[in-house]
Amino acid sequence: MANIFLENSLLFTLTQLVPLLYIATSALYGLHFFRELPLAGKLKQPALILTIVSHIADIGLLTSIEGYRLSYSAYNLMSMVALTLTITYMFIELTTKSDKTGFFVIAFAAGSALLSSILSAKTIDAGPAFSGLGIGVHLIAAIFGFSSIAIAGLYSGLYLILFRQIRLNRFGLLFQRLPNLEVLELLIMHAVAFGFFFLSITIGAGIVEQQASQESIRLLDPKLISIVVIWLLYGISLFVKPLVGWDIKHMAVLLIATFVLVTALLFIMSLFTPSFHGVSI
Amino acid sequence: MNIISVGVNHKTAPIEIRERIALSEVQNKEFVTDLVSSGLASEAMVVSTCNRTELYVVPAMSEVNCDYLKEYLIAYKDARNTVRPEHFFNRFYCGTARHLFEVSSAIDSLVLGEGQILGQVKDAYRIAAEVGTAGILLTRLCHTAFSVAKKVKTRTKLMEGAVSVSYAAVELAQKIFSNLSMKKVLLVGAGETGELAAKHMYAKNARNIVITNRTLSKAEALAEELGTNRVLPYESYKEHLHEFDIIITAVSTKEYILNEAEMQQSMMRRRLKPVIMLDLGLPRNIDPEVGKLQNMFLKDIDALKHIIDKNLERRRAELPKVKEIIDEELVGFGQWINTLKVRPTIVDLQSKFIEIKEKELERYRHKVSEEELRRMEHLTDRILKKILHHPIKMLKAPVDTADNIPSKVNLVRNIFDLEEPNQSLQ
Repeated sequence: MANIFLENSLLFTLTQLVPLLYIATSALYGLHFFRELPLAGKLKQPALILTIVSHIADIGLLTSIEGYRLSYSAYNLMSMVALTLTITYMFIELTTKSDKTGFFVIAFAAGSALLSSILSAKTIDAGPAFSGLGIGVHLIAAIFGFSSIAIAGLYSGLYLILFRQIRLNRFGLLFQRLPNLEVLELLIMHAVAFGFFFLSITIGAGIVEQQASQESIRLLDPKLISIVVIWLLYGISLFVKPLVGWDIKHMAVLLIATFVLVTALLFIMSLFTPSFHGVSI
Repeated sequence: MNIISVGVNHKTAPIEIRERIALSEVQNKEFVTDLVSSGLASEAMVVSTCNRTELYVVPAMSEVNCDYLKEYLIAYKDARNTVRPEHFFNRFYCGTARHLFEVSSAIDSLVLGEGQILGQVKDAYRIAAEVGTAGILLTRLCHTAFSVAKKVKTRTKLMEGAVSVSYAAVELAQKIFSNLSMKKVLLVGAGETGELAAKHMYAKNARNIVITNRTLSKAEALAEELGTNRVLPYESYKEHLHEFDIIITAVSTKEYILNEAEMQQSMMRRRLKPVIMLDLGLPRNIDPEVGKLQNMFLKDIDALKHIIDKNLERRRAELPKVKEIIDEELVGFGQWINTLKVRPTIVDLQSKFIEIKEKELERYRHKVSEEELRRMEHLTDRILKKILHHPIKMLKAPVDTADNIPSKVNLVRNIFDLEEPNQSLQ
């Protein structure tokens, strides 16, 4: 089978352009955060919007081959993670008017987009495509769920860094530029709430779809186990913290660990077991 | 036309000299009025603050030089026994302008980028303007200095970040809590340091400030001044520690007033919610072991000085940008000064041509009708305007150095056979 990216020059160009736009946008956010370059400050938000628009066009063009259906491939998953992370970040920037964490989120999204681009060079076809409302909701909710996990993990990292800097009297660049601890805590809790919401939809839509299709899925599938564990963890974080005052510092460590584990698991599983919860498609 | 500046400041003289030579507002008015009314200077202004007393003078006589002005000020303050001319600095012409720009933009201040000096320079100009000793030159100089200060404030970060311990305490609190109006603050000690910290907190919207002090009346007075009217008896404030998100201590004591066990208990009662404890006392008021408690941010004066040092470092990094702004404005100011030097020649040139025009028109006054004369006058005015346009433009054009001005002026004067310039206009 031929590589679909090599057969379509527009798709090929767009697929190569998207990671470059992510890198350029994260560079602009980085230059603004670390060097406070006024030009970078002016260009970063238009660059962010251009990146999102280009990425949506790229995904639209790619899925048009399969009748606008999402396909389950490592390339697509990493690409969707980059897009949802960036959209979620843009939502945060526009609603909170704070652009101080942009570099950290978009740099991670740029990494995902770059990885996706590298994987696309090896892709033989677009991967198994799914149709039906239930599976579509399941997949999209799972991707948004992972983005929430990523954002919660990234903000937890920033929280711990700032916490440590203040404790150790290191009042350097990060102390100056990062939002305060309370804002970071709020962002973490919002990300956890979004994560819990999307993972609930992911699980719910998965159950409905499985019962409707009568397909047997492997209950010990690592993705399935990890999603349920994270869903429980996020639920506990959401409801236990207000009741018994769970220390945000400990919670942040757990959220970082969750993020790292899920990222590694997702990547490894997508590369080596490109099946869908044990179902052959 | 020259402008001289002499004075003492924190760079040239110790505090005992500075306080000896400082002028009150009344003395300032009297001093500049004397200088101008006695015919020694055509313009005069004095900037007098706790860190500097500086004279900005446009001399009216050649004898009025830097040494003369120093002696004049020393004599006015009757300070010959303590203040000597060596304690003064001297600046001339563009050096004076640069100095005032540096002073106004706060890069010459003891605390780099402090926010009070611009107001003090404005006050100095206001005084000079009120008594009529600020003429065209000082007015332009001061307004350019205000413009420099405004550009420095908007284009650079010279004035950002806390540079006092009490303000650094607030800056730190804002890095932990997003909204101080939602936080409860306890101030232990109503002395000067505590009062300053409480006022900074209040300025940043902290409204729930409770004060405790060994002398309750002092706590009540400060609470009333802040408008919070909330005090706690010193004997019982420890029972309420868990209620506070920010605790500031500034009492004079040889022993710690709060220890680890007390704070541990308080943290448990508030379910480990973060607390900032700002120990502004010297000797310290809080046991350093308290800082090891979970979610506890204990900062003493040394820790807050780290914030100040970092902020000063950042301010110093802005100096090249500030100097660039000053250089830009200095060029503009220098060009304006140069136009003052060519002004008498322009006036003479225009007068000469008007004189010729009037003489020639006079010859025809009785030979033509009034209407024709009016038309002729109108026509000659237009011709003169066009003839003079280029020479005036050439005179006003910026020059590389002030030395080029006399050759330009002489050229025009020779070509048009103008008489020697009137010295009073220069």
